[in-house]
Amino acid sequence: MIAVPQPWRGGGSLGSPLVVLAAWLCGGVLLAFILLPLFQLVAVQTAGTLLAAARATDVQSALTLSVTASVLTALIAGLFGVPFAYFLARADFVGKSAVAAIVDVPLTVPHTVAGIALLMVFGRHGVIGGPAEEFLGLRFWGTLAGIVVAMLFVSLPYTVNAARIAFEGVDPRLEMVARTLGLGPWRVLAQITVPLAWRGIATGLTLTFARSISEFGAVVILVYYPMTAPVQIYEMFLRYGIEEASAVAVLLLVISLGLFILFRHVAYGRRPIAGGGR
Amino acid sequence: MTALTVAGLSLRLGDFALDDVSLTLPERDVMVVLGPNGAGKSVLLETIAGFHRSARGRIAIGSRDVTALPPEQRRVGFVVQNFGLFPHLSVAHNVALGARGHRRGGPVADRVDVAALLERFGIAHLANASPTVLSPGEKQRAALARAEASHPDLFLLDEPFAALDAPARAQLRLELAHFLRERRLPALFVTHDYVDVAALGDRLALMRGGRIIQCGTVDEVFHRPVSRAAADILGFENQLVGRIEGGERRSTRVVVAGRILHASATSDAPANGEITVAIRAENVRLASPATPPKGAADNRLTATVVALEPLGALTKVTLDCDFPLVACLMSRDVPDIGLAPGAAVAATIAASDVHMVVA
Repeated sequence: MIAVPQPWRGGGSLGSPLVVLAAWLCGGVLLAFILLPLFQLVAVQTAGTLLAAARATDVQSALTLSVTASVLTALIAGLFGVPFAYFLARADFVGKSAVAAIVDVPLTVPHTVAGIALLMVFGRHGVIGGPAEEFLGLRFWGTLAGIVVAMLFVSLPYTVNAARIAFEGVDPRLEMVARTLGLGPWRVLAQITVPLAWRGIATGLTLTFARSISEFGAVVILVYYPMTAPVQIYEMFLRYGIEEASAVAVLLLVISLGLFILFRHVAYGRRPIAGGGR
Repeated sequence: MTALTVAGLSLRLGDFALDDVSLTLPERDVMVVLGPNGAGKSVLLETIAGFHRSARGRIAIGSRDVTALPPEQRRVGFVVQNFGLFPHLSVAHNVALGARGHRRGGPVADRVDVAALLERFGIAHLANASPTVLSPGEKQRAALARAEASHPDLFLLDEPFAALDAPARAQLRLELAHFLRERRLPALFVTHDYVDVAALGDRLALMRGGRIIQCGTVDEVFHRPVSRAAADILGFENQLVGRIEGGERRSTRVVVAGRILHASATSDAPANGEITVAIRAENVRLASPATPPKGAADNRLTATVVALEPLGALTKVTLDCDFPLVACLMSRDVPDIGLAPGAAVAATIAASDVHMVVA
């Protein structure tokens, strides 16, 4: 009998199976750390408590407000952040890295600090808040506009950064070729650049949405009433305890995760080839 | 009628610059622009296409002055490295984009039949395919079909196959040459590989440091580099400094390190003037010193082998003939001639292969 040698099943660049095992162990701990609390949160609920929470009008309005404000925030972030991201990706100017660093600042500012700073600007006597009310009738305290301002501040970097990376990944020579084919700069942007960067842009908008719907610190300082869902949960926790609060928490979790998955699906589910007609 | 006139073009763009570049491309000719990386070749092409504003100078395509026009109005077919197909559009859509571009509201007769164009380029079966799954040859055809659809007056090709491996490059070079010759389209082809020159070009411009240092027909430029820089770009391995000793009606004698080399051209340089002769390594033929010279050996030098460098099918041989000389021959001939470091060898060079560099 000739012994047939077993094919060498190398672990690729990971090398030894021990490394693979160690990686799985570390990863397993991390995954459990993420999933266990969420699982626990959902597991203690009964259909009755969830239904009761969902029927409460204050819970309904808080959830609606959270979703509305987060979607609005993502749209505004797209409106301002995407063109700016394109500029950052293509232009070369002195101080570009400083500008990029400023975009990242909200990621490092504690959110309560951000809330206080925003209140000073957008509040009743703030440099923007005062004139905005006087001339435009636009108030930022106690309104949807204020919630959006707070959300935008903490979540804008995700859209700008993701879109910038996406635009940087589009070969400028493709844009050049499109120009020589007779397309003006706007048509090149609409037909070549944005479609090619679309996934990155959509990822950024989705992250901005997710970050916005989960925001508490900045929002609670600028706008306590009307309550967004996180503020509502916090208040119920203080007033009635963990059980009452956790039912609303699960509802918010389901809605934000559901929308997150839906948006990702929309972004990634596009047919990769336009005109690949069947 | 000229297809392209570039006059006194100058601009500065970061590390790159164009310095007083002037060119004329006759109708239906292909001009290869050859130069090392960083010479400004791509910047020149992109400036002709309209992507950089020149500080000085003028660009005319045919009889149209396009200096102030944006790229979308210049009517150039631009082919970039890896062909620049739009990966999110099907092959047919790529070509259709070229067809749509120029003719918004144009006459119906002017519309391009995309299907017929794909057929002509032999890629009709790929109409609905993604460009990302195409072979390099199919990509080139799709890119040419797309450019053709926009009815360009001039083709600009920026090292389209520089990133490919050598066999693919040879195949695509052949196809491109065939396309350009058949269509008689004026084209500017930028490359740093002098192998592209003979296959593609009618004319050759050598570029370095943002300047055109020599321009002419391929034969002229290839055989009479006007400067050492030009000889460098053209890949002459041997550049020997000598002195003109004298000449006959149709030849010149040059003394290099005390040994006489015959060149088959006449030189305007004064006798006793210093001159550089350029010789390609593959034009230095080697034989065993015992072998009697075959035919007219214009230059026969006895030499000593200094070093052998095998390069696969070819072997590079460094010789000492009182001056260093590099030869290149088929590796299979090495044992027959008895080449080994220290061995004596006879090197012959035809006078027509000894090129006098003017400056």
